[in-house]
Amino acid sequence: MKITMANNKYDSGNINISGDDNIVDENYAQFGLSLEEYKKIADILQRKPDDFEIGIFSAMWSEHCSYKSSKVHLKKLPSKGDSVIIGPGENAGVIKFDDDYVLVFKMESHNHPSFIEPFEGAATGVGGIMRDIFTMGARPIANLNSLRFGNFNHPKTPYYLSEVVKGIGFYGNCMGVPTVGGEVVFDSCYDDNILVNAFTIGIARKDGIFLSSACEEGNLVVYVGSATGMDGINGATMASGEFDAKKDKKRSTVQVGDPFTEKLLLEACLEAMDKKLIVSIQDMGAAGLTSSSFEMSENSGKGMIFDLDKIPLRASKMTPIDIMLSESQERMLLACKKENYKELEKIFAKWDLNCVVIGEVIKEKVIKFNYKSKPYHDLSVEAVVNGPSYDRPFTVPSYIKNIKQFSPDDYRMPKNFNSIAERIISHPNIASKHFIYRQYDYQIGTNTITGPGSSCAVLRYKQFADLTDNEKKDSAGSIKNFNNGINNNSNANNNINISNSNNNSVANNSDSISNIHSNSNSNSNSNKGILLNSNCNSKYCYLNPYKGAMLAVIECARNISASGGTPAAITDCLNFASPEDTEIMWQFKESIRGIADAAIKFNTPAVSGNVSLYNETAGAGKIYPTPVIAMVGYIDDVNKAITSYFKDIGDDIYLLGRLSGNLGGSLFMELVHNDFMQEPPTIDIDYELKLHGCLRGLISERLLKSASDISEGGLFTALAESAISSKSNKNLGVIAEIHKTSLRNDMLLFSEFEQAFVISADPSDENKIYELAKNADIEIEKIGKTAIDMIKFNNTIELKSDIIKKEYYSVIERLFTYN
Amino acid sequence: MENKKINAGITVFPGSNCDIDVYYALKDVFNLNVTFLWHKDEFHNFKKYDFIVIPGGFSYGDYLRAGALAARSRVMESIKDYAGGGGIILGICNGFQILLESGLLKGAMLTNKSLKFECKDVYIKNTGNNNQNNPFTCLINKDAVLRLPIAHHDGNYFAEKKEVDYLFSANQIAFQYCDAAGITSDESNPNGSIKNIGGLFGEKFNILGLMPHPERASEKILGSDDGAKIFNSIIYYVKNK
Repeated sequence: MKITMANNKYDSGNINISGDDNIVDENYAQFGLSLEEYKKIADILQRKPDDFEIGIFSAMWSEHCSYKSSKVHLKKLPSKGDSVIIGPGENAGVIKFDDDYVLVFKMESHNHPSFIEPFEGAATGVGGIMRDIFTMGARPIANLNSLRFGNFNHPKTPYYLSEVVKGIGFYGNCMGVPTVGGEVVFDSCYDDNILVNAFTIGIARKDGIFLSSACEEGNLVVYVGSATGMDGINGATMASGEFDAKKDKKRSTVQVGDPFTEKLLLEACLEAMDKKLIVSIQDMGAAGLTSSSFEMSENSGKGMIFDLDKIPLRASKMTPIDIMLSESQERMLLACKKENYKELEKIFAKWDLNCVVIGEVIKEKVIKFNYKSKPYHDLSVEAVVNGPSYDRPFTVPSYIKNIKQFSPDDYRMPKNFNSIAERIISHPNIASKHFIYRQYDYQIGTNTITGPGSSCAVLRYKQFADLTDNEKKDSAGSIKNFNNGINNNSNANNNINISNSNNNSVANNSDSISNIHSNSNSNSNSNKGILLNSNCNSKYCYLNPYKGAMLAVIECARNISASGGTPAAITDCLNFASPEDTEIMWQFKESIRGIADAAIKFNTPAVSGNVSLYNETAGAGKIYPTPVIAMVGYIDDVNKAITSYFKDIGDDIYLLGRLSGNLGGSLFMELVHNDFMQEPPTIDIDYELKLHGCLRGLISERLLKSASDISEGGLFTALAESAISSKSNKNLGVIAEIHKTSLRNDMLLFSEFEQAFVISADPSDENKIYELAKNADIEIEKIGKTAIDMIKFNNTIELKSDIIKKEYYSVIERLFTYN
Repeated sequence: MENKKINAGITVFPGSNCDIDVYYALKDVFNLNVTFLWHKDEFHNFKKYDFIVIPGGFSYGDYLRAGALAARSRVMESIKDYAGGGGIILGICNGFQILLESGLLKGAMLTNKSLKFECKDVYIKNTGNNNQNNPFTCLINKDAVLRLPIAHHDGNYFAEKKEVDYLFSANQIAFQYCDAAGITSDESNPNGSIKNIGGLFGEKFNILGLMPHPERASEKILGSDDGAKIFNSIIYYVKNK
């Protein structure tokens, strides 16, 4: 067969097991299979598998598709809750938004492809996650990206950053889906394995959700979208191995994206779904046609018969297994009722896309392949889909014993706080990422109330016209408008397609229509907002995976609460090194435990997620455990959402909550003492919940102008960032002091992830703020005022805010301009 | 004349992606009667539209050149007829590129000087004459500064010097990028456009090509409602013509 891959971690392949010679194909290792797995396949088939079979099995049994090392642990994540409509298992998770609408979201990794070919890898990562969302019938409304690059001084980092960012923008901008936030982190542990995690959220009517599990016997199996080519073949298997020196030879395993085709596919699918022409649908992502056909069959409890000759191809001489394993992008597999096919075909023709019947759904749980008009192979759906599952052994890593409790006595307090403060605020992990996010369209859709640059993205949920109408003739009014039902408050289960003649059924008959979104008296449904952000501090996860993963969840919640929202649900992207290393497996298991404990307390079930293992390169290193969490939250009235930066000169600044002063694992310890091997701070979750409730209450009463949590870079960074990222034309600064404390200045200023928020308010609201905090039993202290020009703290720091601001906004561009 | 009686058309090409945003703004913010115009269709009665918007996006995936393929599509034949008859046409972002490619406006778009996609808020100044006969800026004072978002990769407007001089002398330069105080400079030029040109009128002032997105700045909650001044001008003009 034609597929060749560099040998991966399993030894060289030329294995002869005595007695098994006749059934062991010496190539099994090249497919990423272990000897045991190979034997199991032979067992199922009762003979030696041929190239086609081994290709199918190895793709579906790859770590990437089967979650074989992780699924025993993933079960421990909470996935149920009042708001959960569909949990893990489908293309994406679904939660309730309001009485009529649901939110569909998921995060997925595209780490391995992005390290091999950063532009295409990142682009197709974004394309893939958006497909997962609209496969379910939801129109994507926002993207986030969580990116990890190597040390900012590493010579290749500018190349990776530049290409990944270009790839994300290339795909998302063309699709018309705003990229509203995310994170970018630099650390040497990613020098040889960058991470690209992409998140998409979409919105759908609650009766408009489509699943992969609804195939019925006799349905036509239809292939839609781009033709199948030679790109991305064996991508799933590649992504289930570590890298070695032959990395560049794996380029052909990376897919090539065409966002224009995906935009057409999006519109065509949503139009066909709106007309209820689709019974069941799945996108062709990892392992392409193989995973979509087998998983749809398995999820529906059915089988399929299909004809490989009918697959639209864009390369000549593709073998059957090439066709089955190609990961060409912008393709979907769907099932439709025979009587609906003509209409379905018409829609795809309108959008100039392929739409081909390739087979039929059958009762027998088998996929029967025909090739060259003859039966080619029959494969049991169950056998292929139910791959191995491992409860891999784990051990506490040896480095853990070197981690000590932070004690201030071990470290002398530095003398020059000004220079430390400057180094921290201009550190690439702290500095503004606006050089990056301005390459993304973050406003399209006109829902972005708070875009990138604040702690959390805030989207309004406005009525929006949907373009899925078939008759885009110049007969006005034939366009579906999601809005009308909502604003007329008259709809519960009505289909809100507006009929052709009804041109005047604009959202609301009031003349003051333009005020509808800023008028807090209007229907509260229409003002409900969506909050999104993602987080993970992998250094903390390395030091203590349980606490670090817990912190990732809590940090997301902090950002949502600081904007005035309530956390609703999470999705995760679990990036780790090889699970065959028992120490890595321990990190994985501990991280899951941390996510679960935090998610249960915050009532934020994990409704979808993704695992990416083998993020390591032979001879180079392993990434820190990086369980990235993305959280979705709500706010009842989006007009009440606030941002993290200060607004006006002379406002009061308070510290809400309490400081522990624990510098363990902080950026300060790394930069100043060159030693971050300390236990990260412990979080009292019950206090945390109370604190968030208090903060939300203050915001809901409109008492606050800004709120920021205290994360990387500590209290100093929270104060300085709040000042210099202000949109005010004046050069905002801050003068603050804390004296009633036993903490040293370095502990006060630079301890991270404190259970406290920096909030600002108009001086006239002081009494009300104190009263509310007191009633909530939360500590509050007025620590200063917003000022002009200066950033001053406790007579230890005195900096010019315009100088700091310039550094903060220019450092990333200076380091990473690469054309 | 009620707003509801004003008919606006929005062209839809494969890859248009600001069409929904313009639709929302015109229909739900300004209360107009709005219709999508599908690129493959043949139209005979464009006269019923009081104005037509060619929205932003990536028509035909920006293949060949941004706007080049859309400029040659069927609906553009009708648009050209409409323009010839004095019909009001607003091309936003990719719509501006399409107007240039179709020859309805003079000049061309190059890649941004940063060679990158640029999404941010910018300021533009009403350079053209404040003139009741101009549908796009009749309610905007001369030299008034608007804050609007841009989001494009190829917005670096270029024309020969002679051409640019002519456009200025004919008052066809509608908007120039500037700072908050209205000063045009290299720092306030987000894409390298010659003479900071961000908006351009056609000869008869019935066509405006505009690189920034007024539909993204038509409500206070989005950070600016300066874009509404352009739409309100069009509405005022249509009502009073």
